[in-house]
Amino acid sequence: MELITPARPSATADFIRRHPTIVIGALLLILITLAAVFAPWIARDPITFEPINRLKSPSAAFWLGTDALGRDVFARMVYGARISLIVGLAVALIAIVSGSVIGLLAGYFNAFDAIVMRLMDGIMAIPSILLAIALVALLGSSVSVVIIAISIPEVPRVTRLVRAVVLSVRDLPFVEAARSNGTRIGKLLRRHILPSTVAPLIVQATYICASAILTEAGLSFLGAGTPPEIPTWGNMIAGNRLYLQIAPWTIFAPGICLALVVLAVNLLGDGLRDRLDPRISRGI
Amino acid sequence: MTYSRRSVLTAGMAAAAVAGVGTPLLGRAQAKPREVRMVPHADLNILDPIWTTQNMAAYHGAMMYDTLFGIDANFNAQPQMVGKTDISADKKTYTFELRPGLKWHDGTPVTARDCVASIRRWQVKDGAGSHLFQRVADTPVVDDKTFRIVLKEPYGLLIDAMAKTSTPVCFMMKAEIAATDPNTQISKHIGSGPFRFVEAEYRPGSRVVYERNPDYVPRSEPASGISGGKVVKLDRVIWEIMPDAQTAASALLAGEVEFFEQPPIDILPTLNAPGIKIEVFSKLGNIGQVRLNHLHAPFNNVLARRAAQLAISQDDIQRAAIGNPEFWRTCGSNFTCGSAMGVEDGSEALMLKAPMAERQAKARELLKQSGYDGKPIVLLHATNIHVMNQTMLVVAQNLRQVGFNVQLASTDWGAVVTRRANQNPPDQGGWNVFYTYSGGNATSSPIALSAHAATGRKAWFGWPESAAIEEMRTEWAYAQGLPARKAVAGKLNKTMVEYVHDVKTGQWTQPAAYRGDRIRGILPIPEVIPWWNVERYA
Amino acid sequence: MLSYVLRRLLGVIPVMLVVGIFVFSLLHLAPGDPAAIIAGDNATPDNIARIRTNLGLDRPLLEQFASWSWATVRGDLGVSMYSGIPVTTLVQQRMGPTFSLAITTLIVAVSIAVTLGVLAAWKAGSLLDRAVMGLAVTGFSVPVFVVGYIMVYYVSLQWRWLPVQGYKPIADGVGLWLSHLVLPSFALGLAYVALIARITRASMLEVLAEDYIRTASAKGVSTMPMLLRHALRNAAVPIVTVIGIGVALLISGVVITESVFNIPGIGRLVVDAISRRDYPIIQGSMIIFAAVYVLINLAIDISYGFLDPRIRYN
Repeated sequence: MELITPARPSATADFIRRHPTIVIGALLLILITLAAVFAPWIARDPITFEPINRLKSPSAAFWLGTDALGRDVFARMVYGARISLIVGLAVALIAIVSGSVIGLLAGYFNAFDAIVMRLMDGIMAIPSILLAIALVALLGSSVSVVIIAISIPEVPRVTRLVRAVVLSVRDLPFVEAARSNGTRIGKLLRRHILPSTVAPLIVQATYICASAILTEAGLSFLGAGTPPEIPTWGNMIAGNRLYLQIAPWTIFAPGICLALVVLAVNLLGDGLRDRLDPRISRGI
Repeated sequence: MTYSRRSVLTAGMAAAAVAGVGTPLLGRAQAKPREVRMVPHADLNILDPIWTTQNMAAYHGAMMYDTLFGIDANFNAQPQMVGKTDISADKKTYTFELRPGLKWHDGTPVTARDCVASIRRWQVKDGAGSHLFQRVADTPVVDDKTFRIVLKEPYGLLIDAMAKTSTPVCFMMKAEIAATDPNTQISKHIGSGPFRFVEAEYRPGSRVVYERNPDYVPRSEPASGISGGKVVKLDRVIWEIMPDAQTAASALLAGEVEFFEQPPIDILPTLNAPGIKIEVFSKLGNIGQVRLNHLHAPFNNVLARRAAQLAISQDDIQRAAIGNPEFWRTCGSNFTCGSAMGVEDGSEALMLKAPMAERQAKARELLKQSGYDGKPIVLLHATNIHVMNQTMLVVAQNLRQVGFNVQLASTDWGAVVTRRANQNPPDQGGWNVFYTYSGGNATSSPIALSAHAATGRKAWFGWPESAAIEEMRTEWAYAQGLPARKAVAGKLNKTMVEYVHDVKTGQWTQPAAYRGDRIRGILPIPEVIPWWNVERYA
Repeated sequence: MLSYVLRRLLGVIPVMLVVGIFVFSLLHLAPGDPAAIIAGDNATPDNIARIRTNLGLDRPLLEQFASWSWATVRGDLGVSMYSGIPVTTLVQQRMGPTFSLAITTLIVAVSIAVTLGVLAAWKAGSLLDRAVMGLAVTGFSVPVFVVGYIMVYYVSLQWRWLPVQGYKPIADGVGLWLSHLVLPSFALGLAYVALIARITRASMLEVLAEDYIRTASAKGVSTMPMLLRHALRNAAVPIVTVIGIGVALLISGVVITESVFNIPGIGRLVVDAISRRDYPIIQGSMIIFAAVYVLINLAIDISYGFLDPRIRYN
C-alpha cells in the first residue's frame, strides 16, 4: 500500500496566506520602484515642454495628457516616483537614525537625558508645518531642504520611542550581566539594547515614510515645497490644483500614485507590526 | 508688482441670466441688500498708501481718501477736490482753490494746509512727484481754501503727476497725519473720500469693511475714471481676503461673494454660469518684464543681453502663463501697446514674428560673440504667484535652448524681492535674471514707472545705465503736446530696445468675474477698483 | 500630585526658551527683508533702507533678541510690522475659528476612528478588520486640500447643502456656525482617523488578551457590552495619548484647511506672516502655540492619574 502523504504547502504560499498585507504592500512598492528606476526607458523628458501643447487630454501622443506648461503628465508621474520615494525613504532614514542615536544615549545616560528631552520637547512644541515652511524660506527650495524640513519634527517622536524601550530594558538582568562583565558602553548599547528597539522602529519607519510623502504635498500647497520644475507627486497635485475641473488628469495621475504608495507603505507597516509585535492577540 | 487698470471691454462669456442662487438647507447668510463682497487679488496689510507702493493700499486709498485731481476715462487730468485752478502767465505759479463742502470723516473741514502737507509727504515717495518737486520753489498757503505751488521753471506735468493713479497716489490726509515721516506708517486713518474705513471690523488677512460716507459731497459731473462725481449707491463694501483661487471661484458660483477681482484665466470656463459676467475692466492690462542684471557678467555685455532678448519668446510665455489667446498679445513697445505712448519703433530687432528657430540661431551666435564662458546664471524664480511661476519656467527653458547655463533659484516672492536688491555678484548673494509685471497704465509713462530709469546703481533693480535713455526721458517730460511726446517716446523705445534695457514678455488683460445678476455699474479705472457708482439691484 | 504638577510647570520654562531661541534665529537668519516687501515694487533702494531703520531691523541681532524676549516674558508680543496691530489682538481675533475647527475635527476624527478601531479589534484577523483598517488608511492617503475641493464641488456647488467657505462665529447662531465647519472638519478629520483607529485597535487587542477579559467571556458576558465597558475604558490611556500627539499634528493640518475653506484662523495668520516676514507675528504665534501644546500635554498627563489607577505620582 502506498503511503499517501498530504501535500505540504510551500513556505512561501503559507507566508502569503498568513500575511497578505505585507505581501500586497511590498509588491506594490516594488512595482512602483521599478517604474521609477526605469523611468528613462518608459517615458520622455519630464522637464522640457512646448507651451502649444498645454492642457491636452490623454491621447496616443501624451498618455496622460499635458499640464499647463505643456509638459507630459505621464513622464512627470513616472519621474515623480523617484523624488517622492526618495523623500519618503530619506526622511524615514534620517529620522530613525538620528532619533535612535539620541534616544539610545538619552535612555542610558541620565545627564544627557535631561538636556536632550527638553530640546525634543521644544521641537515638538512648534507646529511641524510652520517649522518646515520657515526652514524652506531660510534655506531655499530644494529637495534636500524639504527632506530636512520634514525630518526634523519626526526626530523627537522616534527619540521618545527608543528612549522608552531603552529605559525599560537597561535594568533587566541580561543587561546588568553584560555590564558587570566589563562590556564597553558602545558594545552594550549596540549588541544588547539596540535589538529590542528594532521591531517598533521598523514599523515606525514605514509610517514616517508615508507621512513624509503626504507632507511634501501639503508643503507644496502652501508654497514651501520642492521646486516646481522637478516633478514630485506632491508638487504635481498641489501645483495643478486649479485644474481639478479643467484638466483633472493632471491631478488624478499623481494623486492615485500617491494614495497607492501611502496605502502600500501603511499595509506593509501594519503587517510588519502584527508579525513582529508578540503582544498583539489574534482576536477574542 | 500688480498694477491693474480698468476699462470696459466685455470678453465674450455667458450672458447673464437672471437666475438666482438656490438657498441651501442650513442657514447660509444672505447679504443685506446694499452690500457688496469682493475678493481682491491680495491681502490688505498696509493701510498707508503713501508709505508703500503696493496696489492694495491704493485700492484702500481710493475708498477712503480723495485726490486734488484725478484722471478720467481718457487719462486726462480733471479737478476733483480742486474747484478753481489758476496758472500764471509765466507758467510758474499754480493757484488751487478747494471746492466747497469738503470734510474729513471726523467732521472737520478740509483746509489748504492739509493739502500742502499731504503733497509734501507724497512727493518724497513718488517718482513723478519727486521729479516735479526738484523744480518746486515753494508751496505757500494763501487761506483756508487756497494754496499755491511756485515753480523754478515751467513744468507741464505738474497736474498730471497729482492726478495719476499709479502708486503711490497723491491722496489727501489731515495735516497732523501727513506730518508723519514718509518712511514710517501713519497710525490714524481719517480721509475725506466717498467711503469710511470701518477700523473696528478690520481683520488683516481676512476682511476689510467700508461703509458709505453720508457727508460726502460728490461733484456734479458724471463719474469718469477717478474723476467726476463719486456717487455711492451702496451701504457697505466688504473685502473678503481668500488665499485660494479655487475657493474664491466656488464662492462666486455659490453667491457667497459678488466680485472676484482676478480669477486665473485658465479657470474662467468653470465660471461660465448663469448670472456670472466676465469683464475686462483694464484694456491696457499688464506688461511683463524680465530684468537682466547689468552690473555683472554675462549681462553687462550688450551682446549677451541681445541674445537673451531674442531667445525669450513672448508667445511661449503668454501661452504658458495666461493661456487663452483672447487675453494676451505680443508687444514691441516699452510703453504699453494700445496706450498713447505705445509706439513700437525699433521693435524689428525683437524679431517678434520670426520663427523661433531663426531667432535662436541668431541668439546663439550673439552669445558666442559676447564671449560667454558657460558660468551658471541665477534666475530668481517666484513660485507662489501663478504668472511669475509659469513665466520663469519658460524663460529658463528659452535661455537654455540658446546655450545659457541656467540655475533656477525657486523661492517665494518675498525672498525674490529681498534678493533682487542685492548688488553683489550672483554667486555672492546677487542674481542675473528676475521677472515681474506692472500695470499697463503705469508702464506707459517713461517718467512714472521707476523701472524705466537708466541711472545705473541708483536705478531700479537691474541697474541699467544709459545717458542717452536718461536724456530722452527728460526730453519727454518737457515735450509739449501729444505728437511731440509720441515722437520722443519713439526714439526712446528704439534706444531701449537696442540697449536691451530689459526684456518685455508680452501684454495681457486680466478680466474680473462678478455676479452680473446682482451688481452693475463698475467703472474702468486704472490701478484701483471703484465702488462708487456701483449699485446692487438684486 | 501637586508637586508633580508644579515640577512639570517649571519644566515648561526651558522648553519655551528653546522654542524662542529657535524661532528667533530661524527668522532673522532667513533671507527675506520685510522692509523691501513693505516698500512695494515701485520703491527705490533708499526708501527701503529708511523703512528698515524705522522698524528697528538694523540693530544687532542680540539686541533685537534681548528686547523681544524681555517684552514677551512681560506679555507684550509686539505689533505687526505691517498693520501695526498688536500681536495679542490678532491672535485673539483668530483663536475662535481655529479652536472651533480643532474641536469639531477632533470630535469627527475620534468618533469615526474609535468606532472603526473597536470594530477592527472585535473581528481582528478577519476580512472586516482588514477592510476597516484599509478604509481608515485611505482617508489618510489623499491630501487634505484635494479632499476639500472635491467635497466643496459636490456638497456645496452641486447639491447646495453647505456653504463653500468662510466662518461664522457661534454668536451668529449655532446652526450657521456648524454649517461652515462641517466640511472642513470632515476633510481634516479623515486624515487623523487612521492614526487614532490604529492605536485604538492595538490597545483594544492588548486589553482583550488580558486574563480578566477571557474570564468574563468564559462567564458568558456577551461581547459588545464587554468591549465597551471593560476594554474601551482600559484602552483609554493610549488613546488619550495619541489625541495629545494629534493636537500638535492638528495645528499643522489646520493651516492647510484654513486656506482651502477660508477660515480666518491662526494657521493662516502665521502662514501669511511668514510669506511677508512679519517677524513679531511669527515669533509671538509660535510662542503661543508652544505654550498651548505644553499645557495640553500637561493636562493629558494629569488625566492619566484619573484614567488609570495604576499610575500615581509621588
